[in-house]
Amino acid sequence: MPRISRAAPETQPAVQAAKRLNRGSAMLAASVLADSAMEHYRGGFYNPAMVTPILTSIAALSTSLHGHNDDRQRRHRQRDRLFGLTAATGIAGIGFHLYNTLKKPGGLSWQNLFYSGPIGAPAAILLSGLFGLLAERVRDTPPGETPRIFGLNAGRVTSLVTSVGLFATSGEAGLLHFRGAFQNPAMFLPVTLPPVAGALMGKATFGNSRKERRFTRFWLRLTALLGIAGSGFHIYGVSRAMGGWHNWRQNMVDGPPIPAPPSFTGLAMAGLAALALLRAHPED
Amino acid sequence: MREYSLDDEVDFLIIGTGAGGGTLAGRLAEMGFSVVALDAGAYFRPLDDFASDETEQEKLYWNDRRIVDGGTPLQMGGKNSGKAVGGSMVHFAMVSLRFRPEWFRSRSVLGYGADWPLDWREMWRYYREAELALAISGPVTYPWGPKRPRYPYRAHEINSAGRLLALGAEALGYQWTETPLATVSAPRGKSPPCVYRGFCRFGCSTNAKQSTLNTWIPRALAAGAEIRDLAMAGRIEVKGDRATGVHFHREGAWHFQRARNVVVAGYAVETPRLLLNSATSRHPHGLANRSGLVGKYFMTQSNQAVFGRMRDEVRWYKGPPSFTITEHWNYDDRKDFFGGYCWMAQGPLPIEWGFIQTGARGLWGEALRQDMLNYNHQVGLKMVGETLPDAANTVTLADEVDQYGLRIPRITFSWGENDRKLIGHAISEMTRSLEAIGAEDIFPQREDANHLAGTARMGFTPEDSVVDADCRSWDIPNLWVCDGSVFPTTGGVNPSLTIQAIALRTADRIKAMAGRGEL
Repeated sequence: MPRISRAAPETQPAVQAAKRLNRGSAMLAASVLADSAMEHYRGGFYNPAMVTPILTSIAALSTSLHGHNDDRQRRHRQRDRLFGLTAATGIAGIGFHLYNTLKKPGGLSWQNLFYSGPIGAPAAILLSGLFGLLAERVRDTPPGETPRIFGLNAGRVTSLVTSVGLFATSGEAGLLHFRGAFQNPAMFLPVTLPPVAGALMGKATFGNSRKERRFTRFWLRLTALLGIAGSGFHIYGVSRAMGGWHNWRQNMVDGPPIPAPPSFTGLAMAGLAALALLRAHPED
Repeated sequence: MREYSLDDEVDFLIIGTGAGGGTLAGRLAEMGFSVVALDAGAYFRPLDDFASDETEQEKLYWNDRRIVDGGTPLQMGGKNSGKAVGGSMVHFAMVSLRFRPEWFRSRSVLGYGADWPLDWREMWRYYREAELALAISGPVTYPWGPKRPRYPYRAHEINSAGRLLALGAEALGYQWTETPLATVSAPRGKSPPCVYRGFCRFGCSTNAKQSTLNTWIPRALAAGAEIRDLAMAGRIEVKGDRATGVHFHREGAWHFQRARNVVVAGYAVETPRLLLNSATSRHPHGLANRSGLVGKYFMTQSNQAVFGRMRDEVRWYKGPPSFTITEHWNYDDRKDFFGGYCWMAQGPLPIEWGFIQTGARGLWGEALRQDMLNYNHQVGLKMVGETLPDAANTVTLADEVDQYGLRIPRITFSWGENDRKLIGHAISEMTRSLEAIGAEDIFPQREDANHLAGTARMGFTPEDSVVDADCRSWDIPNLWVCDGSVFPTTGGVNPSLTIQAIALRTADRIKAMAGRGEL
């Protein structure tokens, strides 16, 4: 289980929370970096724009790590811009993938949803950017004040983003595991555990902010663990393709994507940050 | 593998291990019957024995001597045959389609051919069982016919040739879908997902293809059946009106295996041939032939095609040849002929393409060489069409004998007037589809046929058929026929799934009859 280390005691809770968000966004960016590099290599970089998510996720990853090593209690303009760019790339990516899906014969069909660029994948880099943007805003809170985003409690906003992200990512896994006919019972895990986490985060978003939510935190940790275990399952999945790991150059590309599942870990980390933020700055 | 001695009177001796015999062997063994299944061909191990080579893989065909005649003599020995454990399913195109329900009552509902003694709703259940056994990869919803359950595995990603069929169909206003295929799109047991190698019709060397060879045969073995390969059945022995066993040739000598029941599953040529070759003084016209219908109503399916060339690369050899299908004309009755047809995307490998170029198009020499360079730009549509049953199309015995000293079959076939009309309609429709997508140098392949059927038809009375609905012969109660020979009509889709469904039903019926002591 990923242990979220606590920041030095003198660090403000807002900065602590921002750094935790940075770690979540770094995890998402790392997942997208490896996944998009492999998938777009598979697509032969047919369209030069296919290099974009690789560059963006490298930027998001390094920006997040920069944020993680920054104890200052104010927004970093350059970082903020980069996170904004990351999120925008995610939105553009969703648009690209949607366009590519719909232009094929059959339009919005299972065939095209299964085998075109997955609409959910660019959403992961969008989430990475969003968590980065949230981190910068949370960080930019004077001591003693409650971090706010557009006037709303930042803990609740982050909870909401996490909740939506968990549902969306689970939907993506569900689509692709449906494509794989749920041939292994473990393929049901990412469509059962994360939606529960998503629902619990939804409850945290709109519920009593003073509640300890131990079960929610437990479930988020479980989801984080699932993200790591998922890569393990996918490593096994690659071994079941023709030639197994002897033919790794083909099977890593065509088999289940090993770097994809840790998206859940990144989301769970952001969820834990949101809960910590809510506990540090409760409101009624 | 459990082995039986020749003196063991096994419950079921099955001749042939293809879609009919292999499936039946698996189910009967699982039901606890003692089963020996003979096959004239070898027991191949795909991972070791199959090459990516069209010529080498001809070892899967039945290339023994036959005589073909009639108005349009059929070319035998290729795709319409199989000589291997697993039968022709070892090299089938994996297309696994259900009949249109009305075809089971062609005569009374559609006005042609003959009715089947089977109810389509019952068949729907056995189709499902066969689809599950083969983990068919198919579309989430199938656009034609009554609702069917979701296919066990999802459809594969379609290739360019499949996409071009879809574009053509959309331009014509016809529905299309991914073809339900017996090759897995995700891992299944020891089968890895399909790697789209494209040699499907020459034997799948990865075992992604779910054929008799790696589904029903392993189930039969696991349940205690014996598969005896390289064993050519020569004559069924009968005493009075009971079959007592089969004489078969193996390792250079003739042997006799005793059995309580004999099932003939040699497909539409070898099945009637064996029944005719087994004639005795009591059954002078062959076994199960009191009706005189053994070898009659021989059918094939029209397999004509239209080809063209695209400006962009297509690379139609990638993956299974028939990724997409339109069954439009199987379900639309607004036409001036009987029967239906479907067409599917195509991907002939180079040698086969060379044959089409020389045969159908008449290219030769430098012109052929130049045109073969367009291979990666070719596109094609190929039909599977219904042929009407005609008593004049027959399998009989010639006077010549083969390497075993057995009289060889004479296969007499002519397209009927209705068949020609249907083929003409299909060629013009497929041409329209290729024109709609901007294909150039479009040409038809006017003569080709594939799957066989008929010659031991099932029916309602001993006078109108060779076997009853349970595939049991009317004349000899412990002699059964279980393969495509029992089809009274052939429908406009590939037959393998229907043959398996019939075998599954037969197994259930045998179990029920055995329970009542009626065997």
